[in-house]
Amino acid sequence: MDQINWHTFFFLLSALGACTFALMVVFTSNIVRMAFFLVLSLTSTAGLFFLAGADFVGAMQIMIYVGGTMVLLVFGVMLTAQERFVSLKTSGGTWSLAALAGGALLAVLLQTAFSVDDWKAGDTAQAGQSQTTATRIGLGLLGARFDEGTSGYLLPFEIVSIHLLVVLIGAAYLARAKRRAKPSADNPADRSD
Amino acid sequence: MTNLLTQPVGVSHYMAVGAVMFVCGIVCMATKRNALGVLMGIELVLNGANINFIAFGSAYLQKDSAMSLGLDGQLIALFVIVLAAAEAAVALAIALNFYNNHHSIDVDRADELKG
Amino acid sequence: MEDLAATLPMLLMGAWLLPLVSFALIVFLGPSMGKAGIKAGYLATAAIGTSFLLSMAALVLWLNGHGSELGTSHHGQTTYYTGQWYSLMEIGNLKLTIGYYIDSLTIGMFCMVTLIATCIHFYAQGYMHDELHEFTDPEITTSDGGKFTRPGRYHRFFQYMSLFCFSMLGVVISGNLAMTFVFWELVGICSYFLIGFYIERKSACNAANKAFIVNRIGDFGMLIGMMAIWASLGTFNFGDEQDATGQVLRNEQGDVANPGIFSHVRSEKNHYALKVPAGMAMLAGGDGDHDGDHDGHHEDEEGAQQAEHHDHDTASSGGSAPAGYYLLIVAGLGIFCGCVGKSAQFPLHTWLPDAMEGPTPVSALVHSATMVAAGVFLVGRFYPVFAPEVLLVIASVGCVTLFMAATIAITATDIKRVLAYSTVSQLGYMMLALGVGGWMAGMFHLLTHAFFKSLLFMCSGSVIHAVHTNDMTEMGGLRKKMPYTAITMLIGCLAISGAGIPFLIGFSGFHSKDAIIAQALNFAQANDNPLFSIFYYVAAIGAAITAFYMFRLWYMTFAGKPRNQERYDHAHESPKVMYVPLIVLAVFAVGVGWPIPGPSVTNLLEQARPAGTVATETGAVLTGLTYPNEHHAHPIPAGDTHATDAERKRADAIHTEANLVAFSTALAGFLLATMFYGLRKIDPTDVRQQFARTYRFLINKWWFDELYDAIFVRPVLVLAKMISWNDRTVLDGIVDGSVRTVKLVSRIDNLIDRLLVDGLVNLIARWTYDIGASLRSVQSGKLSWYVMAIVVGTVTLFVMASFVLRI
Repeated sequence: MDQINWHTFFFLLSALGACTFALMVVFTSNIVRMAFFLVLSLTSTAGLFFLAGADFVGAMQIMIYVGGTMVLLVFGVMLTAQERFVSLKTSGGTWSLAALAGGALLAVLLQTAFSVDDWKAGDTAQAGQSQTTATRIGLGLLGARFDEGTSGYLLPFEIVSIHLLVVLIGAAYLARAKRRAKPSADNPADRSD
Repeated sequence: MTNLLTQPVGVSHYMAVGAVMFVCGIVCMATKRNALGVLMGIELVLNGANINFIAFGSAYLQKDSAMSLGLDGQLIALFVIVLAAAEAAVALAIALNFYNNHHSIDVDRADELKG
Repeated sequence: MEDLAATLPMLLMGAWLLPLVSFALIVFLGPSMGKAGIKAGYLATAAIGTSFLLSMAALVLWLNGHGSELGTSHHGQTTYYTGQWYSLMEIGNLKLTIGYYIDSLTIGMFCMVTLIATCIHFYAQGYMHDELHEFTDPEITTSDGGKFTRPGRYHRFFQYMSLFCFSMLGVVISGNLAMTFVFWELVGICSYFLIGFYIERKSACNAANKAFIVNRIGDFGMLIGMMAIWASLGTFNFGDEQDATGQVLRNEQGDVANPGIFSHVRSEKNHYALKVPAGMAMLAGGDGDHDGDHDGHHEDEEGAQQAEHHDHDTASSGGSAPAGYYLLIVAGLGIFCGCVGKSAQFPLHTWLPDAMEGPTPVSALVHSATMVAAGVFLVGRFYPVFAPEVLLVIASVGCVTLFMAATIAITATDIKRVLAYSTVSQLGYMMLALGVGGWMAGMFHLLTHAFFKSLLFMCSGSVIHAVHTNDMTEMGGLRKKMPYTAITMLIGCLAISGAGIPFLIGFSGFHSKDAIIAQALNFAQANDNPLFSIFYYVAAIGAAITAFYMFRLWYMTFAGKPRNQERYDHAHESPKVMYVPLIVLAVFAVGVGWPIPGPSVTNLLEQARPAGTVATETGAVLTGLTYPNEHHAHPIPAGDTHATDAERKRADAIHTEANLVAFSTALAGFLLATMFYGLRKIDPTDVRQQFARTYRFLINKWWFDELYDAIFVRPVLVLAKMISWNDRTVLDGIVDGSVRTVKLVSRIDNLIDRLLVDGLVNLIARWTYDIGASLRSVQSGKLSWYVMAIVVGTVTLFVMASFVLRI
């Protein structure tokens, strides 16, 4: 009996978490629970990142996604979570169609994933020797890639900076409190359900 | 049937996990009527894609480590995370605006573009 | 002298422009000038009155400056002032200027025109008072049988009168031919306006058109004359260019620097004898200095005694006129053509009698004293340029006109028509006088005639005003009702008939007619050709006819018993504003011709005589044609040293004969009229039946209107009808046909457009619409559907890439 490969064990643990919670997100109709399961799924994904040697990205995954984006989403949920919107039921037809399409896609993707022999097993014994990546990523973002000898990602970094600024202003503009428009006949919001 | 626990994992396993998350995200987008649920589906999709980037960027998940993307995969994953955050902010703003205008968060009510 | 050169143009310009100012004011402000524009009459009268005072001032200044020269026989250069006020434009050599040419004739004409115009303006204020309120035209019946009523046109009448005075004075003062032509046409258009004053009457409308069109015929000739003169001489100016002090500008050789038309034709170097100008000779293809043989026929005053036995060699002149001589004749005839139209000479005389359709003051002003006088005036002004042959034409035309118009006047019963034909006849007299070499006689008769003819017209107007008819057969016995009119009209009749005491003194017409007959006799004697005696005989017979028809008019109107009692009862003397001008004019009609020593009219006119026209002249083409010295038709003053004893004796004989003939013919006419109409010894109807053919000939005005109708009007109408038919059937047919073709083509085109082009477009549009409509349902607006579509699409692509295409 071979020795348990702990790397694999932890991978399976994280993968199981990530997939399970993702499925829970799909099958929960309560929006608050969805948010909760999403947090768990993303955190599990961060674990996968760590196991793949991407310690910095995993940390960012927890900080930005779980700490930032999800807080944002939860805020959204709380702001809009009136009783009648908390759990909106989906019709069975949609479910079955979605399952059909999703199943087809999954089948294709899985078939692709396992179609290359080289990809089926790595040399995870080296995982213990892997270096931290934060310094290299920081330098890469500032335009220096000493390991590759090529230029880095300064321009995309700057573009993303500007992009975030624009998004900040745009989001603030879009979400600002507006004077409520007078209800009118052709306003779809006033249609009785 | 070999014991899964004794084998080293590879890119394929990561890709399987990514595929499951991706499909979950897609199904989430397709079935949720709540705009925020759709948003969460998008996050799942992006995450599924990110898993693939990280897997291909890893130095020891493939037999031939020279085939790995190296640091580039991680950097792109970072950009995806950042863009996802930005997307989440804008989408949330749109959702709030939609809620303000329609007094509803149900995306099926947003059918002004219906032909 | 220096003062005169500056002040005379200023004074006369003022006199000339005042009526224009009045015209402009009335045009713009007329309707608001008092009630019904009554102040327009005051304004126009004041303007022309001031013009008269300015003209009189000019006359006084002239007499002051040149009075000492009066009465002396002068044979040199005429005294004149010329210059320009304003240059309109210069195109190459052509200069169009507003200039002046002032000599004693100009001043005399100014005084005459303004005086008569002033009298007529006063008179018209009374005559036109009907126009002050709503005017019901008695001669018009509207289509529904009612009376035609229109607003009064008092101010418009005076507006045209002012414009007319301005135009006439412009003709008189004009310093060049172009300006003359402009004002000539202005006179024409004014007469058009005034004749057509009662524009609603068809007859007035026709008469105005007739006057205008007939005048155009004459003016066409005038344009030809102008072209001939400008093309050959390159100038329109009458006189030589002068400096500021009135001295002729001369170059270093002492020649005239910029000669006018007159100096070109009668140059100082050539002793003012007629000579073809170098320009004309050149234009005609001559060498320009061809002065050899023609010069020989011109005697200066020393050679005047040769007039009776001129022995010019016929070989040199028989048919070999100097180069350019025919051009000179063309120029002269052209200018004379204009005068024929304006002065209503045969054959363009038909418009004047019809022109009596205008109000009577218009007839008095336009058709007796001024407008028709413009033609005679221009002949007088242009006299130096007329070659002897042209003068013969002028005399012939005048002679025919004189006789024809006089005979027509005998039978006319419309009081104004009698006067109109009388005017034509008297104008013929003037042309005859000018044509036989009597420049002074012609211009003298022009002045005297203006006074008594305007007097006669205004008297007739007064009568018409009283009895409201033109027909003399409805009048009679008005002497008692209208004493002032009767007496002034009698004076006018006497004046036009030439009444007077032989050898002593008489009415103005006596002196002027005497001068004409004397010169006609002089001319007849100077030429061996018996044909030229006709002028003398016609002039004498004309005098008798004149006396006859004038007294016929007077007797029928004022003497005897009333023929129409109703009209007689309504008759009344005209208001003071009308008969006072009559008296003023009567005074002038009596005394204007008196040969007082010093500033008499004849002496004044003599001063303006064109240089060289007293010399004896012979024709170059018609070599038998001799023009005697006009001075030799009257007793030659003792101071004249040039005349020989033989000449003196001959002159005395001519004077005596002319005097007696004029007197006796006039007396014969008067006696005949008295027998017919005064004493009723002979019944005119008997005579009428006796000479029925002649009567019909005369009463129909020698069939002239019918003749012109037949040879000009009718063919033109037929031609017009043919052209009209051509237009209607052929041209319109072509146009209509093309229209129909175009319509057909466009209809086919329309069909193609609608079925083929539109059908294709519509088909595509319908397809597009149908596809869009069917695809419409795909756009559900549901997010989940879109997402699933993406998934399905992706999977499909994937499957195709992986399994079907095997990439």
